[in-house]
Amino acid sequence: MSPLPNAAPTPKTKVDIKNLRFFYGDKLALKGITLPLYENKVTAFIGPSGCGKSTLLRILNRIYDLYPNQRIEGEVLLDGDNILSPGQDLNLLRSKIGMVFQKPTPFPMTIYENIAFGIRLYERVGRAELDERIESALRRAALWNEVKDKLNTSGLGLSGGQQQRLCIARTIAVKPEVILLDEPCSALDPISTSKIEELISELTTDYTIAIVTHNMQQAARSSSYTAFMYLGELVEYGDTERIFTNPGETRTQDYITGRFG
Amino acid sequence: MRVGIDAGPHFVPHVRGISDGMTEMTITANTAEKSTDQRSSALKRQRLNDVIFRHLTRASAITVLLLLGGVMVSLLVGSWPAISKFGFGFLATETWNPVTEQFGSLAPVYGTLVTAGIAMLIGVPVSLGIAVFLTEICPPILRRPIGIAVELLAGIPSIIYGIWGLFVFAPVLQRTLQPWLIATFHHIPGLNNLFAGPPFGIGVLTASLILAIMVLPFITSIARDVFETVPPMLKEAAYGLGCTRWEVVRNIVIPYTRTGVIGGVMLGLGRALGETMAVTFVIGNAHRISSSILAPGTTISATIANEFSEAEGATYTSSLIALGLILFFITFVVLAAARLMLMRLEKKAG
Amino acid sequence: MDRYKRRRLSNQLAVAASVGTTLFGLCWLFLILGTLLYNGLAGLSLKVFTEMTPPPGSDGGLLNALAGTLIMTIIGVAIGAPIGVMAGTYMAEYGRHDKLTKIVRFINDILLSAPSIIIGLFVYEVMVVWMGHFSAWAGSVALAIIVIPVVLRTTEDMLLLIPNALREAASALGAPRSMMIWQIAYRAARSGMLTGILLAVARISGETAPLLFTSLNNQFWSWNMNAPMANMPVTIFQYALSPYPEWQQLAWTGALIITFSVLILNVGARLIVARSQKNA
Repeated sequence: MSPLPNAAPTPKTKVDIKNLRFFYGDKLALKGITLPLYENKVTAFIGPSGCGKSTLLRILNRIYDLYPNQRIEGEVLLDGDNILSPGQDLNLLRSKIGMVFQKPTPFPMTIYENIAFGIRLYERVGRAELDERIESALRRAALWNEVKDKLNTSGLGLSGGQQQRLCIARTIAVKPEVILLDEPCSALDPISTSKIEELISELTTDYTIAIVTHNMQQAARSSSYTAFMYLGELVEYGDTERIFTNPGETRTQDYITGRFG
Repeated sequence: MRVGIDAGPHFVPHVRGISDGMTEMTITANTAEKSTDQRSSALKRQRLNDVIFRHLTRASAITVLLLLGGVMVSLLVGSWPAISKFGFGFLATETWNPVTEQFGSLAPVYGTLVTAGIAMLIGVPVSLGIAVFLTEICPPILRRPIGIAVELLAGIPSIIYGIWGLFVFAPVLQRTLQPWLIATFHHIPGLNNLFAGPPFGIGVLTASLILAIMVLPFITSIARDVFETVPPMLKEAAYGLGCTRWEVVRNIVIPYTRTGVIGGVMLGLGRALGETMAVTFVIGNAHRISSSILAPGTTISATIANEFSEAEGATYTSSLIALGLILFFITFVVLAAARLMLMRLEKKAG
Repeated sequence: MDRYKRRRLSNQLAVAASVGTTLFGLCWLFLILGTLLYNGLAGLSLKVFTEMTPPPGSDGGLLNALAGTLIMTIIGVAIGAPIGVMAGTYMAEYGRHDKLTKIVRFINDILLSAPSIIIGLFVYEVMVVWMGHFSAWAGSVALAIIVIPVVLRTTEDMLLLIPNALREAASALGAPRSMMIWQIAYRAARSGMLTGILLAVARISGETAPLLFTSLNNQFWSWNMNAPMANMPVTIFQYALSPYPEWQQLAWTGALIITFSVLILNVGARLIVARSQKNA
């Protein structure tokens, strides 16, 4: 089951962000971001509050489209297609790029229904296959053993960490290609956090992952690439190991050593 | 760090190797394409439903607008014969004669305004008193039951107030309050006309009292909600200085919630102005303005309720509708003002 | 009297006044319900539910009136509730910040407290005059117009309470807006919306004025929606003001039945909210 080390010299770019500028009304929130998200790798976004990392993430699945008064310039290429183009089918996009939010958001339904909801959006699946898909998603999210006897109880009855894993299972069940995680552990206790971090490294075998986190140690532990953002700018991007041991920019150095933020 | 996870029967491990690279990539590409097509068609189906639903909801919202517009237009159209015949004189005449077809709105309008006014005079202090009790003084256990009991008053249909008023309340008033009022004010010049007999039992005052009881729960519940928005810290600061309960209410709670309370009062006023059934039973249905509030009178809604079904002739009918138009106008102004005040309070609360 | 004593005294007076007003308000509730029970129970028997409304001076029941009210209430809600829910949904979901929503909210609050006799006049003008005769359809439509603002308000309020995170989670999976609303938002707001509908039902069950010139009243049993239909409020109105003791008794009994149905609906609506809050 362990994948062979990637033989190619440079990893393939799954999502290419080019010169992204984002406006809330008149205010420029993201100032020309360019960076790649490599396939089947974890890219972490770190930076102090308000630096724009969550804003950037929310552009990648165009969830900002739900709200008025926002403007965008630049390109985001998913496998070569610009997802910011006006003709882009948003629902289809979101079936390929999934998102897990900061606060666990189980739907007001049973655990089974929570996951079936996403599957049923795209496919007509018979009961037997649905059962299998749900079990597989829950196993992948390391939640199966804890809930297999209570699939018909409400998702709201689970603990915080379990709810978050339910949300991850729900996202995986739709078979996306990219998974965006917006501070997924910030509302959870340390044990749940470490369970989810283990999960993230498992998931790279099939998915490209972008994670926004406040926790630098988490970024250092879980990611292959790290982007440091500050006040809407991309200050530095590179290999996680290099960023944390030998950062190029002074601001990066200051943030990592805790001088601010 | 690998944890042995049980992957389930349909999980295909992706194994990369140089030799298998090309085949693997082609297979992955094919399945990806197929699933995208499948998804695209599933989403197209939902797209239509989505668009239809969105337009349905928008149409429903517009319907509400059309309803109000429709009410205004139909009232205008229906009262046009009367308006064109009587002009503004309609507002100034007390005459109401179906035989000679001479109609004037003065008596019903007067009755509407006076009954609502007296109802407010009595009802507002009582409502505020109850609201203060429920928010500041009542022990927590009793708060819910008493609150519910007061709200039940709002649930009682107005026709019930009407029959109760006619068969129970009015006779009691006739025997007790009204003789007392007549006797007490008999010798006071000016006021003796206001409270002149005979004690009919029914009349303007009786109708006002019943309206006061009906309006109570509305004002109380709004006042309660508004009192509860006062930040506890503000009250604690006052108590901390040694203020008594009454001083806190008078100096902190009421000034803070002033706009909201006024909004609530005006909502109650709107209700009192439009109330039909309770008033119809006890107001006496006399088309005249008396100086005494113990005399019978009429209100706009009582007039319409009593006379509309038997009204014959375009002038009569359209005069009644014209009365309805006046009532609509009055209540619209009051309710709009109430809404604006409450909106301002919400803005302040942030 | 020194200052401190004076303050204490005014406080005690104010507290006493406040308690007094509460007792005053409560005593009316008990008086009204009490006399209703006293007078209404006297005429309450099986006959009330099995016999038709009688001609003047004879005995009978309220069967056709009860049936008529039931029918028109159900149809009124069937017409009004969907419109109210849909409009509330637009205001909370699709058009939350747009101008139409602000205007509709304002208008809705006016309609909510508008005199119901005006609604009756309106429906008279557009339906009864146009159709040429009174009808149960007109009565139902008048009731529906009263239902709409109530249901719209509660639907909008309940939907606005749902956290945006839930909506985003559904959108992030790719769910179209309408699916998110039907399968998630409605489910989450279910009990609140149901309460709104129950409260609307309670309100229209007792409304007399809108029926006075739309559905009128009918002495006999009738399924015909195109003709006047018997109903409780107008029957009570007629009978209470009549000189016949049997009719007056029926009026009291009818009043008792309506009041307690309405109160049970109100309490039931409250229980639903309480139970859902316990489960959440």
